[in-house]
Amino acid sequence: MSMDSVIKIKDLHFSYGGPKILENIELDIHRNEFIGMVGPNGSGKTTLLKIIMGVLTPDKGSVKVLGTPPSHSVKEIGYMPQLTPFSRDFPISVEEVVLMGRLGKTSSIGFFNKADKRAAEKAMNDVEVLDLRKRAIGSLSGGQLQRVLIARALTCEPQIMILDEPTANVDMKVEKDIFDLLKQLNENVTIIVVTHDIGFISQYIDRVACINRTLICHPTSELTGETIENMYGTHMHMVHHHHEHEEGNKL
Amino acid sequence: MQNAIIGGILASVACGVVGSYVVVKRIGYLAGGIAHSVLGGMGIAYYLGRPPIEGALVAALVFAVILGWVSLRMQQQEDTVIGALWAGGMAVGILFISQTPGYNVDLMSFLFGNILMISSDDLFWIAGLDVLILLIVFLFYKQFLAVSFDEEFARLRGIPVERFYLLFLVLVALTVVILIQIVGLILVIALLTLPAAVSGLYVRSLNLMMLLATLLGVAFTTGGLAISYQPDLPPGPTIILVAGAFYLLSLFITRFWKKA
Repeated sequence: MSMDSVIKIKDLHFSYGGPKILENIELDIHRNEFIGMVGPNGSGKTTLLKIIMGVLTPDKGSVKVLGTPPSHSVKEIGYMPQLTPFSRDFPISVEEVVLMGRLGKTSSIGFFNKADKRAAEKAMNDVEVLDLRKRAIGSLSGGQLQRVLIARALTCEPQIMILDEPTANVDMKVEKDIFDLLKQLNENVTIIVVTHDIGFISQYIDRVACINRTLICHPTSELTGETIENMYGTHMHMVHHHHEHEEGNKL
Repeated sequence: MQNAIIGGILASVACGVVGSYVVVKRIGYLAGGIAHSVLGGMGIAYYLGRPPIEGALVAALVFAVILGWVSLRMQQQEDTVIGALWAGGMAVGILFISQTPGYNVDLMSFLFGNILMISSDDLFWIAGLDVLILLIVFLFYKQFLAVSFDEEFARLRGIPVERFYLLFLVLVALTVVILIQIVGLILVIALLTLPAAVSGLYVRSLNLMMLLATLLGVAFTTGGLAISYQPDLPPGPTIILVAGAFYLLSLFITRFWKKA
């Protein structure tokens, strides 16, 4: 694994005009790492992701993604949202949804071209939804839809994938399938996954980034029963846990 | 009569394509605001002795941009502001029409259209606008699909979402101007949305939805014309009633289908 940095955040602070949402964030993610991101609701996880994707600008601090400011690198990021903001009865096929991932990589006028279709086909094949390509998006099961959204994130041939709770609405079997799939993809792509189920995914990830206004990273090897318990814990536990590690493991 | 049928066919192209976007993006109310406020422009054009379609075109474009800006920037009061512009535009139109000297215009034909009075000039206008609409949709097909399906994702892929939203509303404005010639501005919304809504009940892809909506538009306009011809009924409302009846019937059929 080469150790060059794909995401480098230094001394980042962010607020929506009121109280600090993120404070003093330092983060350095290397190529082909698999990062799990945890934290209670409202801890700033999604805000940090939005900053990495250039949607929000920090009040202070520097963010470099693939060596450039986030707004320049966002097209190299494959993103899978937590909630699906679209309506399930939108008349669109699986293949058309997956092709959306080509935007920003393909020509800006006209229809999708042969190269786009090939990339979409490969992505659908990778996540095993190729046989669903003609199906309407509204006819899919929860697990199928999650896979299709991963395929959409993959079609831009991303260097980084960011997935916001990719297994929120699926059963354990599907969850395992999806993480096995991500582990495969991880051979070529740096992956950041937001999750609540850190116990389950600790076998897949390299490091855990714990966010609650501040950020602390743990290598998975340090994950003991106690730290996992702490992460699972309530809001109070999370804060407590942060104080515990303030000095030692900050990256 | 021949002009009326050709006008109906040409208008169906725009209403099938743009109407499908309006239906899937659920902005019927915004489109209604554009359609009604257009009376202001028609009234002013009439007052100045210009063809009303020119005023309609200018007003539709101006209101599309204003309403688009409102819906992007003032989401809290969006419906109130749309309502105000909707009524304000109509009020301006009626004031100007009332102050126009000479023959008193048949206000009814602005409001409810008169497809039988369509001139060859009007047909050229409609055909030209059709070509413009299709050209824009073909050029930016991907972006329009992305923005109407999943705005957030489109933005992250580097699509200037707001610019395409405004461009889309411009297309709605052009379509509204076309449809006003056929059914008048009160009934525009029905013709803009009903063929696409019916079509959306039967097909599961946007392309097919547009195609079917266009064909349905042709069927509704020619069907409405045929029905209204013999008893000498006003064609605009007849067309809308045909479309409305077909929509309700389709709704009933598809519901029944799912249950059976």
